[in-house]
Amino acid sequence: MNKQLKKTISLAAMALGAASMVIALILDFMRSDVSYRGGLLIVGAVLLIAGVYLLPTRKHRSIINVLFLFPLIFAFAVTVLIPFACGIFYSLTDWNGIKFNNFVGLGNYITMFKSKDYVYSFVVTFIFTVINMLSVNLVAFGLALLCTSKVKGRNLYRAAYFLPNLIGGIVLGYVWQFIFNKVFTSVIAGSVSMLTDPNLAIAAILIVSTWQYAGYIMMIYVTGLQSVPKDVLEASNVDGANQIMTLLKIKVPMIANTFTVCIFLTLVNSFKQFDLNLAITNGAPSRILGGKPVQSTEFLALNIYNTAIGKNQYALGQTKAVVFFIILAVVSLTQVTISKKKEVEM
Amino acid sequence: MKKKLLAVLLAGTMTVTLGACGGASDSGSKSDDAAATESGDAAASTTASKDAIRFMNTKIEIDTQLKEFAKQYQEKTGQEVIVESLGGGVDVNGQLKNYYAAGNMPDIFAFGVDSYKASFSEWLEPLDGEAWIDDTDYAFKGDDGKVYGMPFALEGIGIGYNKDILDKAGIDPATLTNIDAYKAAFEKIDGMKEELGLQAVCSVAAESGQMNWSTGNHMMAAYYSQGLARDDKTYIDLLNEGKIDEERMGQFADWVKLLFTYADPNVLISGTYDDQLALWATGKAAFITQGNWIDPSLPSYDVTFECGLAPAAFLPEDTDGILVDAPAYWGIYNGSEKIDACKEFLTALAQSEEGQKILVEECGTVSPYKSCTLEPATPLAKSMLPYIKDGKTYAWDWLSQPEGIAQNATGAVFELYAKDQLDKDGFVSTMASTVADYVAANGSN
Repeated sequence: MNKQLKKTISLAAMALGAASMVIALILDFMRSDVSYRGGLLIVGAVLLIAGVYLLPTRKHRSIINVLFLFPLIFAFAVTVLIPFACGIFYSLTDWNGIKFNNFVGLGNYITMFKSKDYVYSFVVTFIFTVINMLSVNLVAFGLALLCTSKVKGRNLYRAAYFLPNLIGGIVLGYVWQFIFNKVFTSVIAGSVSMLTDPNLAIAAILIVSTWQYAGYIMMIYVTGLQSVPKDVLEASNVDGANQIMTLLKIKVPMIANTFTVCIFLTLVNSFKQFDLNLAITNGAPSRILGGKPVQSTEFLALNIYNTAIGKNQYALGQTKAVVFFIILAVVSLTQVTISKKKEVEM
Repeated sequence: MKKKLLAVLLAGTMTVTLGACGGASDSGSKSDDAAATESGDAAASTTASKDAIRFMNTKIEIDTQLKEFAKQYQEKTGQEVIVESLGGGVDVNGQLKNYYAAGNMPDIFAFGVDSYKASFSEWLEPLDGEAWIDDTDYAFKGDDGKVYGMPFALEGIGIGYNKDILDKAGIDPATLTNIDAYKAAFEKIDGMKEELGLQAVCSVAAESGQMNWSTGNHMMAAYYSQGLARDDKTYIDLLNEGKIDEERMGQFADWVKLLFTYADPNVLISGTYDDQLALWATGKAAFITQGNWIDPSLPSYDVTFECGLAPAAFLPEDTDGILVDAPAYWGIYNGSEKIDACKEFLTALAQSEEGQKILVEECGTVSPYKSCTLEPATPLAKSMLPYIKDGKTYAWDWLSQPEGIAQNATGAVFELYAKDQLDKDGFVSTMASTVADYVAANGSN
């Protein structure tokens, strides 16, 4: 085909496609009820894409690359990037979930840090994250060692430890709430539920969280441990290293990158803890702090949810979510950078 | 060749996918799915004509009955009504906001007093002049004095009692009209616990995570309204200024303590709604701090005993009424194109025989309309009728509390009181400071 003709056709297709898309969008914004505007939009999009595809240029390859990436980027933008930008924008306004009237600048941020419940949630989440990260990783690593040793039925163990992770957090939470409230209190007669004491309630969430998540992390450790080359282990054996020496000096350094991944996952996961928190305690029990009652197990995610939905303060909730994101990003990036330094290259 | 085929296939898939997306957004204003859904995400029917009224129901438990009525209505008048039901823990207000943002508002939707003030006041069509307004005391009036909401059911809050147990203990529920009567009754029943087979006198749950709505809203409701004329808003207005009446709160604290003292300790501090209900419904407690909404749950416990609602009479003086009000209203979206048709439908639902029959007999609600002579079959709803007839009712002023206050503030105070971490004075002063803080930080309603 004539190159000039091809170019004309593709340009025409592009122009036509763009025009019909614009018309369709204008119709949409005018809230017109014309039934063909959806079809017009699609035809326009298809024409535009075809035009770009047919355009004879030297950059044909990169155009194709972009075309194929486009669906993914589009989806990512619609579901993540644009809402994120909107979120930051709304955190600077008095948005109530429907519309906003005023810009309040950093007012929401100031209110947020002044509110005691948020600061308390922040502290309690931080404590929970640290302990949970340690307990999940310790338990998971222990289980992984067990499941890679020569113990009988280790595949069964592996499956069994992984199983809790397959149950949804809300269901798990209610099951464990029942266990704490009913089973434990009747096994230890006369005792009151762990969930009625502020500190024990956090411990209860820790137990459930570890129980649920350790199996998953264990699987990652298992793959890590299995990837340690046999010859290195054999060499250390010949050199007379005992089990503990092998573990500490060979295996652990060899799977340092697995530690990075696991610690990152648990860190982020515990920081974002929501479903177990909601189902097991939903913030209860309350405790008195400085003469004021506070919900002792309201973690950050739950606090954000309660602010936006419970108190109908969408802008403030959004503000808390933005700060939540920043903290999470900073903490996890720092952790990854530090852990990366400890990894060894093979 | 193979490559080309693959390319064609991929391109085809992409077009189809795009088409599907486009199609959905295209028909967005009409919406889809007739078999609308028990689960939450509601929608209407593809076959629906443009003139159909979209009715958003937020009481999932009366979904089938409403659909039945809509069908009858269509046969009679030719006006199609599509009932969409939301429920099962869906954030209804959030869902309405989504509909609004998507330009897909239903024509009729349910709202509560709190969400009216916070969100919906600009969306509602005034209903003044409708025939049913003269027929009820419970129509919802907005700040400008116009009627915006049509009540469809009344609910009552009080102290649920098990009449069989009271009879055996020789207590007449009609005498329970002040705190001293309750105190005497509780003491008497407590002394007979063994022979009555009771685990506790009262079934109360005050855990702040899951039961805050019961304590912070429904128990607190008595503090706001018990003994007051329906239009007397003294204590709720005070609350919205961030203040409480310390004397009344002190009397209320005595009442709460009385209930807590005679409650089952485990259910009190760690029980869920199911635990609380089970304790009472299986006959192991004589009283329960809930309202008539527990009626539909009673058959699942095979309840055979007679029961009723007694006043939450926390004052030393006699107050012989229960708290009765419409918890939600049906309103018409003012951007709707079929406002008149909607009004006709609502009137039919409120005043026609079929409508009342559906709401009262089949849904088991108490009708807010004087012209309605039907009686619900469920025991607690039935026991509300004499109070309503004699005008011995108090308003649900708690509905005008600042949004989320029970969940985020007062519920915690009740729990601390239940766990004896606060004494009476502590309860009053903590309540005062908590309310003040909450209103200062989150605004009033």
